[in-house]
Amino acid sequence: MQVKLVITTIAFMLTMIVFGYAALREPARMELFEGAYESRQVEFGASIYYSNCATCHGQEGKAELCYDAEGEQIGCAGRSLHNAELLCGEPSPRLVAMGWENGTKAGFINATVNAGRAQNGMPLWGADYGGPLEDYEVENVTNFVLNWETVELCSEPTAPAPVWPDDVADLPSGDAANGEQLYQVTYGCAACHGQIDQEGTNAVGPWAGAFKNRADAQPGYTAAEYLYESILLPSAYISPECPTGPCAGPPSAMPNNFPLRMTIQEMSDMMAYLLETSEFESNGNAIVYP
Amino acid sequence: MATFFDEVKEMGVKQATIAKVDDVVERVTAGMNINDVRAMLRGDEPRRPNPRLRPHADSFWLHIRPSFYHTEVTHIYPTFRLGWLSTFMFVWETITGIFLMVFYTPSPEVAYQDMWNIMSGVPLGQLMRDMHRIGAEVMVLVVALHMLRTFVTGSYKKPRQFTWFTGMILLVLTLVLSFSGYLLPWDQLAYWAVTVAVSAAESQPGPEFLGRNINLLLRGAPVIGAGGLLRFYLLHVLLLPLLAGIFIFVHYYKVVIHGHSLPPGREAIGEDTAKRVPKAERVYFLPDIMTSEVMWTALTTLGLIGGSAFFFDAVIESHADPLITPLHVVAPWYLSWSQGWLKWIFPNPFTGGEFDSKVVVAFGIIPILALAFTIMPYVEVGRSRRYADRRVGLSVGMFFIAFMLVSNWMGSPEYKVQSSAEQEVAQHILPQEGHSILLEVPYEELAAGTYLPNQVLPGREHLTHALAEFEVALREYSCTNEGDDRFEPCQPYQSDQGTRFSNSAHTEVLPDPYAALVITQVQHNVYELELVFKTDDPENPVDFHFTKYRHEDAAYEVY
Ligand code: HEC
Ligand code: HEC
Ligand code: HEM
Repeated sequence: MQVKLVITTIAFMLTMIVFGYAALREPARMELFEGAYESRQVEFGASIYYSNCATCHGQEGKAELCYDAEGEQIGCAGRSLHNAELLCGEPSPRLVAMGWENGTKAGFINATVNAGRAQNGMPLWGADYGGPLEDYEVENVTNFVLNWETVELCSEPTAPAPVWPDDVADLPSGDAANGEQLYQVTYGCAACHGQIDQEGTNAVGPWAGAFKNRADAQPGYTAAEYLYESILLPSAYISPECPTGPCAGPPSAMPNNFPLRMTIQEMSDMMAYLLETSEFESNGNAIVYP
Repeated sequence: MATFFDEVKEMGVKQATIAKVDDVVERVTAGMNINDVRAMLRGDEPRRPNPRLRPHADSFWLHIRPSFYHTEVTHIYPTFRLGWLSTFMFVWETITGIFLMVFYTPSPEVAYQDMWNIMSGVPLGQLMRDMHRIGAEVMVLVVALHMLRTFVTGSYKKPRQFTWFTGMILLVLTLVLSFSGYLLPWDQLAYWAVTVAVSAAESQPGPEFLGRNINLLLRGAPVIGAGGLLRFYLLHVLLLPLLAGIFIFVHYYKVVIHGHSLPPGREAIGEDTAKRVPKAERVYFLPDIMTSEVMWTALTTLGLIGGSAFFFDAVIESHADPLITPLHVVAPWYLSWSQGWLKWIFPNPFTGGEFDSKVVVAFGIIPILALAFTIMPYVEVGRSRRYADRRVGLSVGMFFIAFMLVSNWMGSPEYKVQSSAEQEVAQHILPQEGHSILLEVPYEELAAGTYLPNQVLPGREHLTHALAEFEVALREYSCTNEGDDRFEPCQPYQSDQGTRFSNSAHTEVLPDPYAALVITQVQHNVYELELVFKTDDPENPVDFHFTKYRHEDAAYEVY
């Protein structure tokens, strides 16, 4: 019996030592697990992002390079999510601009993904709104987007958003060869407007080959002015000539984010390609981009 | 009665205090004063009348314990302490379970997050979780072994048939307890194991409304959701422990009433002398059995805590997703046999077709087996408990154990895998869930690029190892014709697309695609790991991608 009591005492002491050891390593271990949980949420968010969002927001989230389900490159319809304006600071400049300065970035992104912005082409995703993603999935993809924030991103001087001239005459002269590349691939206009040398290739919007003759669409506009306005403000005037009859809208089915993604030079290049001229004629109409 | 104050006046502070303590000890032990307790701990003989018997009459806890045992049943053999261990494990699970309950909410919205919070936000939370989980598995094992031993020593025979009967109830309760706890973490492992098991109810051969309603009752809705989780939770923390508690008492009451059966060789055939213990062969509960139990408590606790702290990590997979069935849904090991049986084919002699294996297993084999076991002591009435007289019975028992072990193996994905070959190859190093050789490669070893199976990367041993495993799996699933001399020997071909194994005759199993691992950086601290399988063969187009992401701090190497 004495032996048993001795064994009991030793076992009890060893148990306490194991407990003590576990308790000592606990703070470090808890921190590791905390990091692991957050990281795995980001990983899971990545898989949601690349299977649902990258088609519009791009491989790097900059709305720079988008592929459709077949792997064909298409124009990116979404906004950039990987930028200092949205991700740097709390509230970030983008939050202030959207009237969300009393909320957090996480809340803003979460709410946008949940409810979408149907009028601007951002679908709704949250299951509570009838979308396909559960709350935890929206939360994880939000964490993934937030994970683009880095010290480098936030210390880079932000490129100022282009200030679009009000008069097409003030645009620099364009390079049609580069414009073709932009039209076909970078901004994916061809997917909707077809090839300029082949009527009937337009799938969604009016045929691009006709753009250069559309001077009369808005009374008193030149073709350049009309084209410029159509890209900056798609909903300002809805064209009657879509492949299946009059176009729907407003709001226009055409993405309205091109002015956020393009430089002024790119605008000129593309216009040069579509209008087959490198200088743009103006009737002096003011086209004001907000 | 004299108050303490009166006594101090009478005897002085010291004496009065001693008298008071003595009094308290006697009340607490229900009959032993302080000298009796000290004498017991010293190992002295008790005084007459033996005060160590009084607690068995007067105290609540000890009145359910016998006051003495036959010395023959106090050694490791014949009980192996397995019944005691089963009880211990039940108490252990109750204590660790209550700790976990404090931090757990049974709702699909938060259950999964709560599990992670237990592991990352609650001090010693992971240890508690491991202790509870290891406890559940040990308990199943211990109860099964206890059943085995009572079978082997013939302790189920008259007069202990009813003890065995209640034991069967406890076996079922133990299994269901374990399994109902399985769902609670609300991860993929939990969700799908339970979904598959519960769906067996749907296949029942009776009228359709029956299966539908059983299912509805368990799941609380057509699919397991908030209602189902709550039901499993309540079963797990309330109803089943309550039933188990009650039946443990019934079971143990029967054990005490009949006495522990002596080793079979110790009594004449057909006799039961367990209750007639000669004075010389008595071992008293106080102090001997009690110290022994205290010692085993301390040792088992040490073993379980040490095991959980150093060797065992309860897993958690990704969040439950009703839309994604993981490739290999596996039952826990203690139910794997049933999954093995589901893979069998049961031919139907009347139609020439086959029966639905779910029906046969869930509504045929399992109930019949359970019934057979339950009534076994009432049917198998051979008088002798001696091993030599029970050769047939013991052989059947051993055969049954072997059969269960083989069935268990059949339940594992290794036996009759139904998925496609490239999935299996991918599963080998980058499974959808669970341990992955590739994900466990330390983050520092990853870099963007295309890697070939079996590529050797100096200084990056883990990645090299993963690529070696990649080749092993690729070869295994590509070279299915090996040894057949109608085909050329199977050998690797390499191109910049990857590696392929071929004997230049495409097998139907895997059309020998080029395979490679492509790593891309998607964020400053996140890589995409993609296994790519491709063929250029227009007749057999293959273009498979298996993708996972790896964050710098995901710590797969550790957990
Ligand atoms: C069909 C294309 C499309 C898809 C798919 C898409 N988005 Fe968007 N998203 C948009 C557009 C267009 C906008 C800009 C809306 C606006 O300008 O108001 C946007 C805006 C956003 C914004 C707000 C950005 C800001 O600065 O205001 C977030 C966040 C966002 N998307 C996240 C996602 C996530 C996450 C997914 C995947 C679950 C996703 N999006 C899928 C088109 C898309
Ligand atoms: C998602 C398909 C889509 C994409 C991509 C797209 N558009 Fe459009 N576009 C439309 C639709 C639909 C209309 C008609 C509705 C309207 O007038 O706003 C339209 C209208 C226009 C018009 C007015 C045409 C007319 O005849 O009235 C011009 C000009 C135009 N788009 C130019 C572009 C350019 C340049 C790009 C690429 C930077 C582009 N679009 C990208 C769908 C698209
Ligand atoms: C939660 C599960 C169980 C608990 C807590 C439990 C507990 C016990 C205890 C404490 C004993 C006495 C000591 C010993 O034999 O080790 C005992 C004896 C016994 N048990 Fe169990 N038991 C359980 C399950 C079972 C099962 C599954 C069976 C068989 C189907 C079973 C059959 C028996 C029999 C026949 C005895 C009498 C043994 C004898 O007298 O030698 N028990 N049980």
